Amino acid sequence: MNKRAIGVKRMIEITNLKKNFGPNEVLKGINLKVNKGDIISIIGPSGSGKTTLLRCLNYLEKPDEGIITIGEVSINARKVHKKDIYTLRKKSAMVFQSYNLFQHKTALQNVMEGLIVVQKKNIKEAQEIATELLRKVGLEHKTKAFPSHLSGGQQQRVGIARALALNPEVILFDEPTSALDPELVGEVLSVIAKIAKEGKTMIIVTHELNFAREISDRIIFMDNGVIVEEGSPKEIFVEQKEERTKQFLKRMVPELDYSI
Amino acid sequence: MGKAFDFTLILEFIPTLVKYLGITLEILFFSIILGILIGLVAAIPKIFKIPILKQLVTIYISFIRGTPIIIQLFLVYYGLPALFNLFHIDLSRVDALYFVIITYAISNGAIFAEIFRGAILAINSGQTEAAYTIGMTPSQNFRRIIFPQALRIAFPNIGNSVIGSLKDTSLAFTIGVMDMMGRGETLIASTAHALEVYISLSIIYYAIVIIIENIFKVYERYLNRYQPDEISAV
Ligand SMILES: Nc1ncnc2c1ncn2[C@@H]1O[C@H](COP(=O)(O)OP(=O)(O)OP(=O)(O)O)[C@@H](O)[C@H]1O
Ligand SMILES: [Mg+2]
Repeated sequence: MNKRAIGVKRMIEITNLKKNFGPNEVLKGINLKVNKGDIISIIGPSGSGKTTLLRCLNYLEKPDEGIITIGEVSINARKVHKKDIYTLRKKSAMVFQSYNLFQHKTALQNVMEGLIVVQKKNIKEAQEIATELLRKVGLEHKTKAFPSHLSGGQQQRVGIARALALNPEVILFDEPTSALDPELVGEVLSVIAKIAKEGKTMIIVTHELNFAREISDRIIFMDNGVIVEEGSPKEIFVEQKEERTKQFLKRMVPELDYSI
Repeated sequence: MGKAFDFTLILEFIPTLVKYLGITLEILFFSIILGILIGLVAAIPKIFKIPILKQLVTIYISFIRGTPIIIQLFLVYYGLPALFNLFHIDLSRVDALYFVIITYAISNGAIFAEIFRGAILAINSGQTEAAYTIGMTPSQNFRRIIFPQALRIAFPNIGNSVIGSLKDTSLAFTIGVMDMMGRGETLIASTAHALEVYISLSIIYYAIVIIIENIFKVYERYLNRYQPDEISAV
């Protein structure tokens, strides 16, 4: 974080975010601040609420309580207007675990869709932007391929290009590699690492702890609907203070034991 | 019954009967188009689980499924004028063709509603979420993402319904519509060569069905272009 210590700008602010599914309290009052350009990784056991937190950030899931601010857009869950949700969604983009590409559109059309429908760009301009983005994720030779004809890793890279297309201020990744065969994980992680270097604000939910450690400015450890501990990769992976964090890391990476 | 079988009469009857194909296709065309519109509207309450409307649509669909089309036809043919009579509107001079089209549109609507509902629900919600995260509205999502894919899924069933509907039009003569079948009945009355007439009719209907089937197949292949290879190759 200190590399951007001068002139930091707040990008995201989450205040007292709560979400229940029926009797199940999934988020129990999350508070989080993210500066512009920060790379945040969220780690934690299954069911701890990581996906729900990301989904609340773009109102795919409506929180029960709390204020979400991205850039200059702020929504209080108590009084939400449809219009606010659209403005909030335009601030961020999401990369899904299961890619969620539009199956009837080619790789290029998937990336162009938002440019044409949401940003109302003309086809030629949208095509240029989309082609450039597919080149960036290493898929310039697959622009005309349909998702069902691409490997998981290629589909996810299209998903990333689609997320980048609208030039959002924040990109949310929900376990972008966990649906992939192990040999395809690398190609996706390296694309994410490349984008990370370009100064986009990113929140990544991941079980790839080594990757999180390498690229993140800050690690958030969640368990049971709360943020248990947060800090630099070193603070979380090496000098963690909370017992729950220790236990989780021990289970995830037994070989990290020596550093405790 | 009738006279000795005369093969050459078939060649004579076919051109006479084909002249009435236009009426048959007219019934088919309008009942399908109107049926699609009714089906789209009727699918909405079930997809979005709108109370009351949903129950009404369910009753409508189950009634259509549970009654023979010829009875539906008579219900409309006798029922609609009776209903309008209550408001002192006289439908007795309305062409029977319209009653046929209305009946088949209502009947197709119920079938299309079920086809559309199944097809729309078959598309995984992940794509809708992706559309929302890039800022699309629900109606943009429906038009650009869901509908085109639902169409592909629904298409084989739509094709079957069109063919079924074509065959059902042959009942229109029962209320006096002069379509191919109606013309066939008058031919039988005047020539007493029933078998030749029915053979001629079956040849024509069969040919039309084959043509429609093939048109659908070509379009189906186009719709399947984005499917995994083993499906799109079929
Ligand atoms: N749509 C839903 N309806 C009901 N319960 C839900 C729903 N989505 C999530 N939950 C519940 O909320 C809790 C948190 O789920 P969430 O998906 O946020 O966890 P997670 O941290 O992302 O887990 P994982 O690492 O397995 O992805 C779980 O108990 C889950 O069963
Ligand atoms: Mg999750």
